[in-house]
Amino acid sequence: MTKKRRIPRLLQLVLVVLGIYLGFVLTFDVILGQVIPKSLLTMYMFFVIAGVLMVFTFTEESAQELIGPIKALVEDPSKKMVRNVVFVIVPLLAGVYTYASLMPSFEAPVELRTIHPAPPSSVKAFGKRFDLATLENPYRKFEKEDPDKFHKLVKQGGEIYIQNCQYCHGDRLDGKGPYAAGLNPTPLNFQDVGTIAQLQESFVFWRIATGGPGLPAEAAPWISSMPIWQDFLSEDEIWKVILFLYEYTGRQPRSWEHE
Amino acid sequence: MQKRNSRIILGALFIAVFALFLLPSLIPGFDASLALADETAVTSDVDTVADANAVTYAPAPKLTAADYPSIPGVNSRVVVWLAAQLHLWFGAFVLAVPIFVFIIEAIGMATRDQRYDNMAYEFIKVSITAYSLTAILGGLLAFSLILFYPDLFTYLSTIFKGSMFAYALLFFAESAVLYIYYYGWHWLQGGFKKWVHLTLGLLLNATGAMLMFLANAWTTFMMSPAGVDAAGVFGGDTWAAIHNFLWNPLNIHRMIANVAYGGSIVGAYAAFKFLSARSKEQRAHYDWMGYNANFIAIAALLPLPFAGYYLTAEMYAYSQQMGITLMGGVFAWIFIIQAVLIGALFLSANYYLWCGLGRSEGAHRYTPYMKYLAVVIVGAFLVWFTPHTLVLTNAELKSLGGPYHAILGPLGIMPAKNTAVNLLILFTFLSFMFYRRANKTATVSWAATGNAFQIALFTAGIINIFILGIYYGYFTNTVYKVAASIPQVMTTLVIIITSVVIDVFMYKGAKEVAPLHWGRSRVSARSQYALFLLAVSFTWLMGLMGYVRSGIRQHWHVINIFRDNSPDAFTPGLGYAANVISVGTIIFMSMVIFVFWLSTISSRKSTTAGYWKEQGT
Amino acid sequence: MNNFLKVAIFSLLMVGAFAGYSNFGIPQIEPAPPPVEEKLDLGAMTMDQFVALGDKIFHGKGTCTLCHNEMGRAPMLDKIGTVAHERLGDPRYQGEATNVEEYLHESFVKPSAFVVAGFGKSGTNDTESPMPDVSGGGIGMSDAEIAAVIAYLQDISGSDITVSIPTDVPEEGGDEESEGGGRAPLESAEAIIAEFGCGACHKVAGETGEMGPDLTHIGALRGKDHLRRALLDPNAEISEGFMEGMMPDTYGTQLSGKELEMLVDYLAGLK
Repeated sequence: MTKKRRIPRLLQLVLVVLGIYLGFVLTFDVILGQVIPKSLLTMYMFFVIAGVLMVFTFTEESAQELIGPIKALVEDPSKKMVRNVVFVIVPLLAGVYTYASLMPSFEAPVELRTIHPAPPSSVKAFGKRFDLATLENPYRKFEKEDPDKFHKLVKQGGEIYIQNCQYCHGDRLDGKGPYAAGLNPTPLNFQDVGTIAQLQESFVFWRIATGGPGLPAEAAPWISSMPIWQDFLSEDEIWKVILFLYEYTGRQPRSWEHE
Repeated sequence: MQKRNSRIILGALFIAVFALFLLPSLIPGFDASLALADETAVTSDVDTVADANAVTYAPAPKLTAADYPSIPGVNSRVVVWLAAQLHLWFGAFVLAVPIFVFIIEAIGMATRDQRYDNMAYEFIKVSITAYSLTAILGGLLAFSLILFYPDLFTYLSTIFKGSMFAYALLFFAESAVLYIYYYGWHWLQGGFKKWVHLTLGLLLNATGAMLMFLANAWTTFMMSPAGVDAAGVFGGDTWAAIHNFLWNPLNIHRMIANVAYGGSIVGAYAAFKFLSARSKEQRAHYDWMGYNANFIAIAALLPLPFAGYYLTAEMYAYSQQMGITLMGGVFAWIFIIQAVLIGALFLSANYYLWCGLGRSEGAHRYTPYMKYLAVVIVGAFLVWFTPHTLVLTNAELKSLGGPYHAILGPLGIMPAKNTAVNLLILFTFLSFMFYRRANKTATVSWAATGNAFQIALFTAGIINIFILGIYYGYFTNTVYKVAASIPQVMTTLVIIITSVVIDVFMYKGAKEVAPLHWGRSRVSARSQYALFLLAVSFTWLMGLMGYVRSGIRQHWHVINIFRDNSPDAFTPGLGYAANVISVGTIIFMSMVIFVFWLSTISSRKSTTAGYWKEQGT
Repeated sequence: MNNFLKVAIFSLLMVGAFAGYSNFGIPQIEPAPPPVEEKLDLGAMTMDQFVALGDKIFHGKGTCTLCHNEMGRAPMLDKIGTVAHERLGDPRYQGEATNVEEYLHESFVKPSAFVVAGFGKSGTNDTESPMPDVSGGGIGMSDAEIAAVIAYLQDISGSDITVSIPTDVPEEGGDEESEGGGRAPLESAEAIIAEFGCGACHKVAGETGEMGPDLTHIGALRGKDHLRRALLDPNAEISEGFMEGMMPDTYGTQLSGKELEMLVDYLAGLK
């Protein structure tokens, strides 16, 4: 079999993995300007390496070609020098990695806020108990029954929003209000498809009425600065604001209409 | 003699079928619900219905920690947990094997290829010891429930007394049919008798399915109680309690998963036999068996994500609280682990197929394409894996300006994952298609057209899946978002079915390029380890999903009705659960190895000259 | 190496990898512990809180203010803590109490032991009280709740609180049981009327209450639908001469469907 000279398989593998790694970093961090979280990149690379290994080893020839240099390195007497160097460098690298990852740093611990904490089955607000499983927006029905009235309600909701919410959540509902920069976690971006569009109105009602302090323990640390709006707004007003949130962003609340 | 035998079997079979049809009448709920339906139809008088159920039931008890017996040094929850999980693993395996044994036996009958029959027999042989272990573990589970959770057991058994009794009786039927099926295998051969045997297989599957459905009803009752009022007072209608909201979704999901699981376990068995085979014939046989087991596992694995998605959607529909607890709350991270495991499943199944290309020289044509498949499969998997909540360091948070990632955020929600999983399935199927064609070339005149059509089909289908996923997933409201997953699935299924049909016709009488060598030396040991990985990942994954299914009830025995007040009422954290699952997996694996070992010693014989007294004749 | 060992080690490594990833690869979230069940936690209560509880029960669940108000339907209780010991020496007193606390408790469960002049059922010459036993029937207060109301009454009348906070409360007697959950169904309309003390206010079934409409011929005046509504939503329509908000509107949750129908049938039959 005549074979033209090409890059050894092992080097190919290393180059492919490195290329993909740099590709991720380049795409996310440089081109798109949205850094890729390190934790995620680690897992991504783990599976990329698994995939690459699979491709490189599924035929017998290719697998042999891949393992060949490694085998030779360990067994071939003529490669004594290289072997010694590798056997010194690899443990050293492992040691450096271990040292770096165990070294205490001044970095604050990673925060794990759950974006959608599970709601309780019922919630106490306005001195009443609301069953979140069955709670519905009393005004939602007007959307079909009486569009004019619905429109008026949405407008009222919009006014309430501008008076109360836009300082943080922004006048375009994108979570970029004048005060947003000072807050961590940042105010919710309602335009994002992953926020209110994923939720039922009862969930949104719960989050508005009881605010940050009403978050369950599992969403901790609840450093959310969302106020407890039941102290400032009436039940009706909250429902109207919710209508406005969905109407303005053009989203529909999650619902389960069973055909 | 011959004739008498068959008459006996026919009689027995008839009785068995008859008994099966009688069974529903043993379940009082069946009658009660029908009677109830009749009465309400005739008269809408409230009192009559109330009188019909004159028996009044107690509400769900309110327990204190003192109501839970304990044995010092024994964690009662972990005991029940492990017993239930082990029972479920064995149960799944034992129920699944007859399903594909039945199919393989039928294939054998149709093709008159005895290898199929032998393989089917070997499968059922493996499962027969596992069967008694299933029963023993079921007993252990019942005992530990009665011992550690007596009030829960009492409460459930007042509601399900009829079905529990029917369950016990069905177990007898199952055992009887299984033993006849297995021990009669070599006796019931040829012509009519083979048909009788096949019917027995069908009967075995019917009983097995019924057993599982009943047990599922008890499980789902605890998640979506029905037939009881808010205080847990049972209304007397057993059928309503059985036919609760999540019953059928769970039935479907478990049925499919069982087959995939059974396939993977049998695959591990074949792989082990392959690795330790000495002769060429044995290697060939077990290579072939492993391939078939993997095929079964993949075939069932492909629709499994859809069944799982359906079950989850129904949970969401049943209760938003349950749904968000499952997907967004404490358990959100479990789905990342699940993604890793499912990734392991798909990757190892694909890897096994690719390695299988080495069985024929003709496959060299296709090996270069595999890397493109790998790119799509790994890529789709990475999307499937991306979590909704990202773990961000402070520096990353600052750089992003908040916890929301403009690109990865949208990849974290369902539409992206649905799209990814459909691609994953399609390309796994493609791997299989390449494998199928490895040693053949189509000779029909329209082969080029056929290929072009298939390529067009795949292209159009993939575009459709993308449009459905991206447009309907992100730019419309949630009703469509959820609904869009259905046409996506349909697209995938249409592509798979159409391609198979085209392929069957196109490769009819196809020319063999190079023969397929089962068990040749080019079938590497590596590929067999892929089968082990499949089995281990599957077992672990089932354990994990069992934990989460049970865990979303949180501190309730029966959700929102019967509170768990035991000291162990808290939901265990993921790491702890993972450790329990790992211990369970190891116990299960050891037991499975024991079962496999038993099936090998039954054929061994030691000759001991001079041990036994010579019999003077 | 033996194949078996290899496979076993491979499998263990895989299991270990999964477990390791679950433990160290992903953030560990400890699920919140189960919420504490809402119940009377008397052990941790101060006397002020206990009095506040009594206040809540007096104005809420106990339905006391339906009659003990300025309308003169029943005696005012703002001085009861100080006047009660006078009652003990009254010749008309029929009970067995020896101190104020016992007297008050007795008047909760056996109201007829002493009837304040002018407040008895008509025709009984103040020997029988129209007040129902608050520990049973539709009100169903537990001992702890009665004690809390006694503490409240002593507090508002400015006397010393002699009640001690009960420490061990049986599980029964909580809110849920009294609202029809665990109660055995009643067999007849008369039993319902007796159980729920309808006769305290209404003239019905041999009882002679006067605060609500006379029901002796109600069937001739009202149809079943009207009666049903009057039971479920008493304030929907008030008969002339009677006050709104007098009759408890909780029977809808206390009566079972069957009991309600039985009662409606019975009332409709009174012609």
